[in-house]
Amino acid sequence: MHFFMNSNKMFFLFILIFSTMISISSNSWFGCWIGLEINLLSFIPLISNSNNLLSSEASLKYFLTQSIASMNFLFSILIKMILMKNFEMIYFISIMINSSLLMKMGSAPFHFWFPNISEGLSWFNNFILMTWQKIASLILFSYYMNLNFSYFIIILNVMIGAIGGMNQTSLRKLMSFSSINNLGWMIFSIMISENLWIFYFFMYSFLISIMFFLFYMLNMFFINQLFINNMNFMIKMNLLINFLSLGGLPPFIGFLPKWIIINFLMMNKLYLLTFIMLMSSLITIYFYIRIIYSSFMFNYIKMKWFKIFLKNNFLMFINLFSFISITGMIFSTFLYIY
Amino acid sequence: MCTHFFFFLFFFSMLSFFFMIYFVMNNLVIFFEWELISFNSISIVMSMLFDWMTLLFMMFVLLISSVVIYYSKSYMSSDLNLIRFIILVLLFVLSMILLIISPNIISILLGWDGLGLVSYCLVIYYQNLKSYNAGMLTALSNRIGDVLILMVISWMLNYGSWNYIFYLNFMKNDLIMSFISIMIIMAAMTKSAQIPFSSWLPAAMAAPTPVSALVHSSTLVTAGVYLLIRFNMLILNTFFIKILLLLSMMTMFMAGVSANYEFDLKKIIALSTLSQLGLMMSILSMGFPDLAFFHLLSHAMFKALLFMCAGVIIHMMNDIQDIRYMGGISLYLPMTSLCLNISNMALCGIPFLAGFYSKDMIMEMVSFSNLNLFVFFFYYISMGLTMFYTIRLLMYMMINDYNLLSIYNLYDEDYVMLKSMMVLLFMSVISGSFLSWMIFYYPYMIYLPFNLKMMVIYVSLMGGVMGFLISNMKIYSVNKFIMTYNLSNFLCLMWFMPSLSTYGLSYYFLNFGYNLLKIVDLGWSEFYSGQGFMIILKKYSIFYNIFQMNNFKIYLFSFVMWMIIIMYMLIINI
Repeated sequence: MHFFMNSNKMFFLFILIFSTMISISSNSWFGCWIGLEINLLSFIPLISNSNNLLSSEASLKYFLTQSIASMNFLFSILIKMILMKNFEMIYFISIMINSSLLMKMGSAPFHFWFPNISEGLSWFNNFILMTWQKIASLILFSYYMNLNFSYFIIILNVMIGAIGGMNQTSLRKLMSFSSINNLGWMIFSIMISENLWIFYFFMYSFLISIMFFLFYMLNMFFINQLFINNMNFMIKMNLLINFLSLGGLPPFIGFLPKWIIINFLMMNKLYLLTFIMLMSSLITIYFYIRIIYSSFMFNYIKMKWFKIFLKNNFLMFINLFSFISITGMIFSTFLYIY
Repeated sequence: MCTHFFFFLFFFSMLSFFFMIYFVMNNLVIFFEWELISFNSISIVMSMLFDWMTLLFMMFVLLISSVVIYYSKSYMSSDLNLIRFIILVLLFVLSMILLIISPNIISILLGWDGLGLVSYCLVIYYQNLKSYNAGMLTALSNRIGDVLILMVISWMLNYGSWNYIFYLNFMKNDLIMSFISIMIIMAAMTKSAQIPFSSWLPAAMAAPTPVSALVHSSTLVTAGVYLLIRFNMLILNTFFIKILLLLSMMTMFMAGVSANYEFDLKKIIALSTLSQLGLMMSILSMGFPDLAFFHLLSHAMFKALLFMCAGVIIHMMNDIQDIRYMGGISLYLPMTSLCLNISNMALCGIPFLAGFYSKDMIMEMVSFSNLNLFVFFFYYISMGLTMFYTIRLLMYMMINDYNLLSIYNLYDEDYVMLKSMMVLLFMSVISGSFLSWMIFYYPYMIYLPFNLKMMVIYVSLMGGVMGFLISNMKIYSVNKFIMTYNLSNFLCLMWFMPSLSTYGLSYYFLNFGYNLLKIVDLGWSEFYSGQGFMIILKKYSIFYNIFQMNNFKIYLFSFVMWMIIIMYMLIINI
C-alpha cells in the first residue's frame, strides 16, 4: 500500500489519530473543537493527490462541509457558554450541537456530502472516513445528546441508508450508504452504552476493512467490474461471506452486535424502532446481495489478457479475517460459558 | 426361459390339483402359523391356510400363468425386455399365491400390495404415455383398496390378532367389526373394479395382451371377489351387502351396455370381464359365495383363452385392435377362430361349455331367491347383453370380408401360441362340468315354472338377434345415433366413470392450483411482497436521488438555514 511508504502521509495519519484522542479526552468543549479542527486539517492532506482531479475536488468539498460544521459547533458551544451554567441542558442548544456533530460525521439529514466525497476517495481513505472519522463526533454526540432528536435521526439514518443504496452501481457510494445505515445502529448503541458502541464499531470496522482491502487489491470501484474479474474461488467466497456478515445474517459474526442491539431495543420496548431498523437493514442485505451476485455465478467472463497479481501475503490476512467472520459468532458463545 | 418356467408352473399347478382332490376327498384343512414378531401380547404372524378352495384357486392361477408364459415365448419373442417381463409375471404369480393362501390380514396385505405394484409395472410395460396414464390410473385406484386394508389392520388391533378367520363368526355383531366389513367391501370393490372404481379396468388394456390374459381377466380382478368369499361369514345379512348388490348389478349392466358401443377388441373383452365380475359380486352379495367361486374359476378359464385368441389376432393384424378392420378371420385363422368362438360361447353360457354350469345355476338361483323386480330385470337384461355384444363381436370379426390393407399376411401356424391355447381350450370346455361335480357337496334343488326356467334362453336369443342386427348397421343407422347423442355419450363412456376417477378429479384441483398460482403466487403475493415492494423501493430511491443530485452549495446552505431556524427557536424560547 502506497500509503505507508510515504512519510508525509504517515505523519498526517499520526496526527489524525491523535487529534481524535485530543478531541474525545479533553474536558472542555473548546478542547473538543480544537481536536476536531486538527482532525480536519490532517485528513485533507491524506485525501488530496495532485495527480488526481477527483480527490482534490473531494478534499475541497470535505474542507467546506467540515469547516462549516466546525463553525456552527463553535458558535453553539459559545452560545451555550454565554446563555447558561455548565450542567444545564437546553433543548434547542442540544439540537444545535447535535446537528453540527451529525454534519461532521455524515449522519442522515446532513449526509448529502458523504456519498459525493467518498466517490472521490481511494479505498483506504474511504475506510478512514467511514470508521475513524466518526469516532470523535460520535463520542462528542454522546456527551450532549437530545434523546427525542436522536430517535428521529436514527430512523432517518437507517431508512436513507437503505433506500439511497438501492439504485447505486458505484461500490464506494454503496458502501457509504451502508455506512449511513450502520450509523443509525451506532447512534442507538451509543445511547445505550459506550461499551456496546465500541463493540458495534469494532465489528463494523473489522468487516468493512476486509472488504475495502479486497476492493483495493482488485482495483474495483463499480459493480460490473465484479463480473469480469477472474477472481479465484476463495476470494469470491470471502466477499460473499463478509457481505452477508455485514448485512447481519445469523451464522456470521455481523449478527452478534445487531443481536445485542435488538435485545436492548426490545428491553426498552421500542418495538416500532426495532421494526424499522430491521426492515431497512433487510434492504441493505438486498443491495449487498446484488454486489456479491457475481460470486454465485457458475460461469463468468474470463479475459485472457486480464491478469491480477495478488499479493499473497496479504491474502493470508484476508483469509484469517474471513475465518473470524464466519466462525466468530460460534466462538464468541464460548466466552459466555461460566 | 419361457419353456422352463412353463414346466415349473405347470408342475406346481398339477401338484396343487392332486392335493386339492386329496383334500376334497378327506375334507382336510391344513393351517399353520409362522410367528415373526411378538410384542405386548400382539403377535405378527405369517399364517397359511390350505383347504380345497385355496388349492383349487392356486391350481387355476398356476395353470393360466404357465400357459401365458409359454404363450409369451412367441408373442413377446422380439421384445428386448423379455426377461424383465417374465420376472414380473412370476412376481405377480407369487403375490397372487400369497394373497390366496393367507387368512391373516397382514399377510394378505403383502400379496395385495404386491398385486397392485406388479400390475402397475406390467401395465406400464410398453413405456409410452398412454400406458403410463393407464398404469397410474390402475395403481391409484388400487391404492384406495390398499389404504382401506391398512385401516383394517389398525382396526383389528382391538382384537389382539390379525387372523381374521377366527373372528368371522364370533365378532359378527360387534360395531367395530362392521366398520371392518365396510372397509373390506370397499377394498374388494377397488380390486374387482366395481362401479365407482371401474374405469381402470378398460384403461389397463394398455398392457401387453398376455398380461391382460393373466392379470385383467382371471386373477387380479378376482382377488376382490376371493377376499369377499373369505369374509363372507362377516358380511352376510348386513346393510352394506345390499349396497354392494346394487352397485355390482349396476356394474354388470353398465359394462354390458358399454361393450356394445366399443370398437376396441381388447376393451370389449375387458368390459365383458367387468360384466362377469359384476355377476360374481352380485351373486356373492345375495348370499351364495360358493356359486361366486364356481363362476370365478370357470370364467377365469374361458376369459384367459379369449384374451389369448385376441392376442393372436392382434399379433397377426400388425397390432391393430379395431374390430372394424377385422372380418373374415374365420377363413384365415381357423384354429384361433375355433378357440375364440368356443370361449365366447362359453361366456354366453351355451349348454355344456364351461360358462353354462356356473351361469345357468346362478341365473336359476337368482330366479329362485327372494328378491325384487329391479334385481330380477337387471340380471336378465345383463344376461341378454352378454349375448348381444358377443354376437356383435363375432359378426364383426368372423363373417364379412377382411377390411384392412389389401396386402396382408395372416397365418395360423404359430404352434407355440396354439399349443398354449389348446390347454385352456380343453379346460374351458370341461372345467364347468368337472368343477360342478367336484366342489358341491350336494346339488342345489331348483324348482321353477317353465317360463321362468326358459327365461335365460329367451333373453339370450333376443340378445343374439339384436347383436346380429346391430352388427349389420349401415352408415344411415349410425347417423340415427346423432339424435341421441347425449345418451350415446353417456353409455359409451361407461356412465362417465373415467371422468370420475381421472379428469373429473384432477381437473378441478389442477384448475384451482393454476388459478391460485396465477392470482396469489404470481399475482397479489408478488405484488404485495416481492416485485411490488421492489418497485416501491425503486421509486423511493429515484425520488431520493433528486435530493442527492443537487448542487453542493444547496446542502451547505440548507444546513446553515437549519441552524438559523433552531437558533431562532432558541431565542423565542428564552
